[in-house]
Amino acid sequence: MRHSTLSSMLAAAMICAAPLMVAAAKVGQAAPDFTAKTSTGKTVRLNDYRGNYIVLEWHNNGCPYVGKHYNGGNMQRLQKQWTGKNVVWFTIISSAPGKQGYVTASEENAYLAKMQAAPTAALLDPSGEIGHLYDAKTSPQMVVINQQGVVIYDGAIDDKPTTDVSDIAGAINYVNAALEQAMAGKQVETPTTRPYGCSVKYPDSTH
Amino acid sequence: MKSARFKTPFVASSWIALAWLLYPPVGHTAGSSIPHGTLELIAENQWITIGHTCYLGLHFQLEKGWHIYWINPGDSGQPPTVTWQLPPGLSAGPIEWPTPLRLGTPSIVDFGYEDAVTLVVPVHADTSLPAQHQAQLGAEIRVLVCREVCIPGKTQVSLTLPVKAQPPAEDMRTRKRFASARRELPRPAPRNWIFGVSDGKDSFVLSANVGSQIRNAKFFPLTESQIDNSAPQTVQSLATGFRLTLRKSDRLLKAIGRLKGVLVVSDKDAYLVDVPVGIAERKQQDR
Repeated sequence: MRHSTLSSMLAAAMICAAPLMVAAAKVGQAAPDFTAKTSTGKTVRLNDYRGNYIVLEWHNNGCPYVGKHYNGGNMQRLQKQWTGKNVVWFTIISSAPGKQGYVTASEENAYLAKMQAAPTAALLDPSGEIGHLYDAKTSPQMVVINQQGVVIYDGAIDDKPTTDVSDIAGAINYVNAALEQAMAGKQVETPTTRPYGCSVKYPDSTH
Repeated sequence: MKSARFKTPFVASSWIALAWLLYPPVGHTAGSSIPHGTLELIAENQWITIGHTCYLGLHFQLEKGWHIYWINPGDSGQPPTVTWQLPPGLSAGPIEWPTPLRLGTPSIVDFGYEDAVTLVVPVHADTSLPAQHQAQLGAEIRVLVCREVCIPGKTQVSLTLPVKAQPPAEDMRTRKRFASARRELPRPAPRNWIFGVSDGKDSFVLSANVGSQIRNAKFFPLTESQIDNSAPQTVQSLATGFRLTLRKSDRLLKAIGRLKGVLVVSDKDAYLVDVPVGIAERKQQDR
């Protein structure tokens, strides 16, 4: 085939491949912008909240690691505590339809009410686009963004990777630490950890 | 009491069956339930020999499609944890983990086991241990069993073994299981193999001089958050070995001194490697 045709085919292939090669959000870098539908039917855009601290909480209501933090009320306490200090808290559900954790808007609203959860909003991400943008691997997985829109924490909710509610009390909560340290003008001591939990149920999820 | 008179073979075998139920043979127990599987504590030998190390096995049998995790579980999941309940004088060493499988999807890569796996555990018997008819060995295991969903389990396993001064004697009933488990354990790399790890901006490059051309290699890191598990590991085949490019994890913020893990060569041979990072390897001649 002619050289110019080959080059344009290669260029086309690279453009198509490019989205898969975009580096996911990293600590110390700008939090990638996104828009999302909330469970109450609104549309939110991350960058509209520039100037607030933001917490992103990846969620799957069937995962026992998520259950650990919700059944004991831990996650709800964190949501209330921080939204009470003007932190924007987004619970994000990136489960694909038919997979564990997938919820319709009304199912999510029922869950939020039943759990007395208090995020700013629950964001429905069934295509997994936001999950992939942040390279969310597990639920729970926590991302903390500062007022300048920079990711200052990404990883586990705390340092006890178990399904036991009794492990919450003695654990170091990395979300609390990141917010407290950043709000005090200090460097975040632990900017990243391996998140613990069940795999995010993207469309290609098998395990 | 008068001894029973066995009138027929049927009656005799019934008594034997009853005796088996009442006095389970030492060294072998029924499996405990875990989600979608069973777990058994088995022993390699018929008794514990005072002053020696004997091997126990935690044998997991899983229903089709379900898996458990390796010491480094990868992007999601958690490995099983063991809390030993051993009598004084006995101490368990670290688990010897069989070579894992790479599980998962392109974006979420885990390391673990399907179908069945035996975790091998050394138990040392102090010289001060007295001979006993029956020593009770127990363990509480927490395990995460997953397929498309994950189910946590907690169970208790136990085993009674005599403690003797006599040299160890193999238990023929568990021989096959231990032989299979040992085949699955990664071995130390041959002494004449030479490894180096170079520390690049985005990747480590693990180079190996093994004396012959290798076309296929896979690396399973022992420590979390050093290597990007979902990034492809590109192999550069060399006349005397290979170079393997390992993309760094986004979570790796500090330099590491050594890279430790399991290297699987040519899809069949698994080796434990522990290589200093950033030190120039001995010069090779690519033939």
